[in-house]
Amino acid sequence: MTPEAAAAATKGPLAEAPLILGHPTDRQLNDELLAPIFDPNANWKKAVGVAAAGTGLLAVGVVVTIARGIGMWGNNIPVGWGYGIINFVWWIGIGHAGTLISAILLLFQQKWRTSINRFAEAMTIFAVMQAGLFPLIHTGRPWFAIYWLFPYPNTMGIWPNFKSPLIWDVFAVSTYFTISLLFWFVGLVPDLAALRDSAKSKVHRIAYGIFALGWKGSSRHWQHYRIGYLILAALSTPLVLSVHSIVSFDFAVAQLPGWHTTIFPPYFVAGAVFSGFAMVLTLMIPARAVLHFEKVVTVRHLENMAKVMLVTGLIVSYGYGMENFMAWYGGSAYEAFLFFRTRTTGPYAPIYWTLIFCNVLVPQTFWFKKLRTNLAWLWIASILVNVGMWSERFVIIVVSLHRDFLPSSWGIYAPTWVDWSIYVGTLSFFSLLFLLFLRFVPSVAVAEVKELNHELHHQAGGHA
Amino acid sequence: MPSMKSLPVIQDPATKALPGHRPLWQSVEEVARRRGEFAAGAAEAPPELSRRSFLQILGASAAFAGLTACQPPRDKIVPYVQEPKEDRPGKRLHYATALSFEGYATGLVVAAAEGRPVKVEGNPAHPASLGASSAFDQAALLDLYDPGRAKGLWRKGQALGFRTFLSEVQKLSAAHEADGGARLSFLLAPDASPLLAEFRRRLQLRFPRATFRFWAPIADDHAQEGARLAFGRKLDLHARLERARVILALDSDFLATPGDSLRLTREFASRRQPGEEMSRLYVAEPAMTLTGAVADHRFRVGPAEVSPFASAVAAELGLGKRSAPAGSPLARAAKAVAADLSRNRGRSLVLVGPRQPASVHALAHALNSALGNAGETVVYTKPVLGDAAPSSAAITDLARDVEAGRVDTLVVTAWNPVYAAPAATDLGALLARVPNAIYHSLREDETSKACSWRVAAAHPFESWGDARGRDGTVSIVQPLIAPLYESVSTVDFLAAFLDEGDKGGLRHLQETWRARTGLDPATFDREWQRWLRQGIVAGTAESPVAAALAVPPAELTALDPPARPEGLEIAFAPDYSVWDGRFANNAWLQELPDPVTKVTWDNAAYLSAETARRLGVSEGQVVTLAVKGGSLSAPVKVMPGHADDCVTLPLGYGRADGGAVSKGVGVNAYRLRTTPGAWRVAGAAVTPGKGKHRFAVPQGHFAMEGRPLALDFASHEWAHGEGGGELEHLRGTPPTAQVPVDYSKPDYKWGMAVDLSRCTGCSACLVACQEENNIPVVGAEQVAKGRIMQWIRIDRYYSGPAADPQTISQPVMCQHCETAPCEYVCPVNATVHSDEGLNEMVYNRCVGTRYCSNNCPYKVRRFNFLNYRPEVAPVETLLMNPDVTVRSRGVMEKCTYCVQRIERARIEARVAGKKIEGLQSACQQACPAEAIVFGNLNDSGSKVARLHDDARRYDLLHELGTRPRTAYLARIRNPNPDLA
Repeated sequence: MTPEAAAAATKGPLAEAPLILGHPTDRQLNDELLAPIFDPNANWKKAVGVAAAGTGLLAVGVVVTIARGIGMWGNNIPVGWGYGIINFVWWIGIGHAGTLISAILLLFQQKWRTSINRFAEAMTIFAVMQAGLFPLIHTGRPWFAIYWLFPYPNTMGIWPNFKSPLIWDVFAVSTYFTISLLFWFVGLVPDLAALRDSAKSKVHRIAYGIFALGWKGSSRHWQHYRIGYLILAALSTPLVLSVHSIVSFDFAVAQLPGWHTTIFPPYFVAGAVFSGFAMVLTLMIPARAVLHFEKVVTVRHLENMAKVMLVTGLIVSYGYGMENFMAWYGGSAYEAFLFFRTRTTGPYAPIYWTLIFCNVLVPQTFWFKKLRTNLAWLWIASILVNVGMWSERFVIIVVSLHRDFLPSSWGIYAPTWVDWSIYVGTLSFFSLLFLLFLRFVPSVAVAEVKELNHELHHQAGGHA
Repeated sequence: MPSMKSLPVIQDPATKALPGHRPLWQSVEEVARRRGEFAAGAAEAPPELSRRSFLQILGASAAFAGLTACQPPRDKIVPYVQEPKEDRPGKRLHYATALSFEGYATGLVVAAAEGRPVKVEGNPAHPASLGASSAFDQAALLDLYDPGRAKGLWRKGQALGFRTFLSEVQKLSAAHEADGGARLSFLLAPDASPLLAEFRRRLQLRFPRATFRFWAPIADDHAQEGARLAFGRKLDLHARLERARVILALDSDFLATPGDSLRLTREFASRRQPGEEMSRLYVAEPAMTLTGAVADHRFRVGPAEVSPFASAVAAELGLGKRSAPAGSPLARAAKAVAADLSRNRGRSLVLVGPRQPASVHALAHALNSALGNAGETVVYTKPVLGDAAPSSAAITDLARDVEAGRVDTLVVTAWNPVYAAPAATDLGALLARVPNAIYHSLREDETSKACSWRVAAAHPFESWGDARGRDGTVSIVQPLIAPLYESVSTVDFLAAFLDEGDKGGLRHLQETWRARTGLDPATFDREWQRWLRQGIVAGTAESPVAAALAVPPAELTALDPPARPEGLEIAFAPDYSVWDGRFANNAWLQELPDPVTKVTWDNAAYLSAETARRLGVSEGQVVTLAVKGGSLSAPVKVMPGHADDCVTLPLGYGRADGGAVSKGVGVNAYRLRTTPGAWRVAGAAVTPGKGKHRFAVPQGHFAMEGRPLALDFASHEWAHGEGGGELEHLRGTPPTAQVPVDYSKPDYKWGMAVDLSRCTGCSACLVACQEENNIPVVGAEQVAKGRIMQWIRIDRYYSGPAADPQTISQPVMCQHCETAPCEYVCPVNATVHSDEGLNEMVYNRCVGTRYCSNNCPYKVRRFNFLNYRPEVAPVETLLMNPDVTVRSRGVMEKCTYCVQRIERARIEARVAGKKIEGLQSACQQACPAEAIVFGNLNDSGSKVARLHDDARRYDLLHELGTRPRTAYLARIRNPNPDLA
């Protein structure tokens, strides 16, 4: 009998599964959760090697793009945006889970967030880093775009066009990244101090000491820390909603059928959380096993995430339904053609049906506890959801563009090897950053888990 | 060059040691520094031939080697002491000249900037241009600056100087003079030039036994023979479409007739306004052509079925008895057409294309005569080409002579006979046997390889000459630029055989014309200036001759058409882009989408969907076409509206040595043209092959999907909607949340109107735009990827049954929306609106997000996905319009309404203290149909303002609220109610 099953059996069917298994001491938690840093897994180096090689592919793709031009991609007229923007939106979406888990669940005092927030926040930052790459390299002249998109004072008196959603993007994404990074780092400080204190080598002690910012764990420190952390949580909460709303404006503000849709902001945010949680699951399920975090990242955590995915999946499905309804109800022939002809039967119809399968049908399995707690299915489903969300962005961007108003200008889009290199490259770069994170930074918020552990003990003692 | 020794070398002062003084050092760094900037001995001049001087000599040799291409001026050049008043930097100078095509001239006005021609425009005074110009005329400029043009004069691989060449020709001529030129033969390009005719007369005097042959790959032998059958003599036929109410075109693509297409398009378009006087066009043809696409009724018939159809029409009109079986759709059509023709006696016209046999031409003459059209809608003149008309048999006659060893010297000015001659002739091998085969050509090509002498021809824009339009009007061809390469003009080349090659084209011309006109020198000089200025010699048009049928009509209708061939028939056609192949190295034309099929950089075996199904082949599949005496692998392309059981193969592709641009483009249809000049070959066998070919087609979808885009109405439907009721919902200001900007205040409010009733889709505007706006060519691969750069595209939509559709063409360029969707999405303000309503593109500011293109509902924006001008030869930079920025990689571009022309006109108007008048956009200027009108909408008297108020006016995608400045005028068709 596994520890989980044993715990469930003793508590009866209606009792909630535990958030922490057993009654570990602080010392045990410290040792277990910091173990990956001081005692790395033997396969870590191999994994880093693979990820680094893939990151090299990204470098090749970016260099080729900048040296030769966007013509190396599959973009054309009418499909002005292709993999670049698809991947941008996809990565930004993935980057939503971290902040949601950290900030919103913190404000709602959801205890189960504790074991997974660090992990999710790191994923957010790394995903936003991937996303941030695309808007820049997808421009025709990135050497100008890199600063012309910012409102800097200049003698010519030329400003960016504040009416353009792309400018809003610049602000939204850079704010989001900054806040997420700060939030993550502030949360890390106590753990970095713990690392400093338990480090066995001088190098570790100095390195972690620098980043620990002199944390001593005094009540004063804790008081300031709590306030600061809450303020950052309060700041990031609206960002969870705003970033993807603004990204969705890139499309909603345009007049293209399939883009010009008022439901986009909420539906994009839901989709982002949906894909973000999917990505957390995709990473967490194997990481939990490899790093032996089963005690603190329990099935209940995973199941809760599946529930969030079910809810957001339903919102997304509602979005699809409403889009189709409006396409019919709105009476625009162009929009109706896109939704009822191009998407469903056009050259990219398989991608549309993949999207429906992955985003609408797959999450329905999460109604069933058996499937929700089946880690293998959960892992497969989380990958399917990510595939589905990628397909959704493909359908929104490429399928809408490739057949718009004038049939004479209809075209077809096919990605090139450079498109694939950059996409696979960002996946690798993301993995590389993640592997480094797992190796050098506590991937579970140790201090918070300890705190939760005490709290749970206290509660358990009180009841007993 | 001073020796290196004398050049001071900056030395470290510390190293200048006094005698006996040991330099002191203070630090290790100083010792290191003292080693000096240059290696030891670097300042010394090396003794004898060192590596350095060797490299100097090598460098100089390389540099001077390039100078061999520079031609010393043959005439004296006097440099300006004071700049002439008219030639100021930045000012455009316009020169009238003419360009010959298949022997007939079109009068042009060429704009030169800083001494280099940069824009070809039509000459309004010339009867074949009327101010318009064709895609071929426009593209001549690219030929001029083509770095791949032939250069120099060569004999057996040895370069000759011009003087040496003249003396060599002189020796050669002298040798031939002995036997009266019996072993001298000329194969000349058809040309109506009076000066060249004079040369020929003198050559014939000098070499009475020499043979003169005229040849071009595409000749209208059948028409000449048809006229001879009907009238007993050769006559030129000139259609007067502005007088014709009913036109029957039998396999005749008259809107693309060489030398006459611009005039005919103008006249045809002028009668396409709805109303009583609207003309009706019937076309019977196998493959869809420009003419067929604008027809009111198009009968899809194979090339061999045209003749029975013509007979059936004649029979209905009481000429002849043969008729198609009654009750068949064609018989019904023939009956209706005949009735329409006879209702419009004297106002109707029957035209026959060169592909039809002489008997059909003769029958048409009989019909026109019987309908009283002669002298009304059709006039006849003495042939303008005269004895210089091309004959298809010339090439086989020549081959026979060469084979028999009767030719020692062959002078070729005809275009590329080796490529275009029937495969069986093997002219290449034969020409190699001629001791002196002298080939005068603009480009090195297949024929150059076979000839022992290669003489680079000067471009018409570089040489003096004269030419005649199809109606006979003479133009003086004046050079616009000194020859860019060592080359010889046609005049100098032929004059060389009269030992007058160094006299200069201008003197030849003036002497000939002085003699012809018999004017005294003072009057002649005055006249001469007038000819040059106007571009025409007034009063030189051939006057119509009364043409009576030499035989009774019955006899003509009884002429036996060739028997209906068995099996699949292949019809050859000149190509809209490369014609017979002579434009194959012209990238503008190669990338010009075919007006009918929209294919770029290619030809194909065109056939109907039914025939493809029957043969078991699919679009893009490579098939082997075999006829007696030749076979060819060609990709299949299904052409809606193509007749069944025949294949159309455009000529001019598949060049082996046609230059860098033409390499690997298309297949060579001449390989199936086994008899010289054949237009059709029967009994073709088709073997489906394995390969799959991908065509570079910028427009891939041809149905409008029920959207109100390119609108057309039948004339009877339109009459009911008097006042434009049908289109009311597609114009005016749609309700929008935004308060519209009031553009009525500024002096100018630029706008455009495109009349779809007039537009034939000929695509001259595309090339004119490309030339005016420095638009790059991207190549087939990029076109296939959807990255064509042309700012105008001509959307062509089909409607009706797929096998036999109706066609409509719609030019689409930037609509300059007043509330432009592209503008508000640009993050860097790179596309903004002017107060005169132009949607402006600021190239310098563009970072290339392509968001503007995504949000453009018309998809008229073009993006520089790659650097489309990676390496520009120095000569190609001369081609660029100095008023228009050459765009870099990563920048969006689009139609600007020719903003550079507006600004130029504004400066001129300001200087003159007037308002801008007579401004034309480049596309409008080229358009032979006057379908595109540009101008000031705030001037209520302007043509464009009138058209914006026309009952047929509508806005494309009106409901989006973009409020485009370009208005479309719906096309009106004029179908025959009897055939409804």
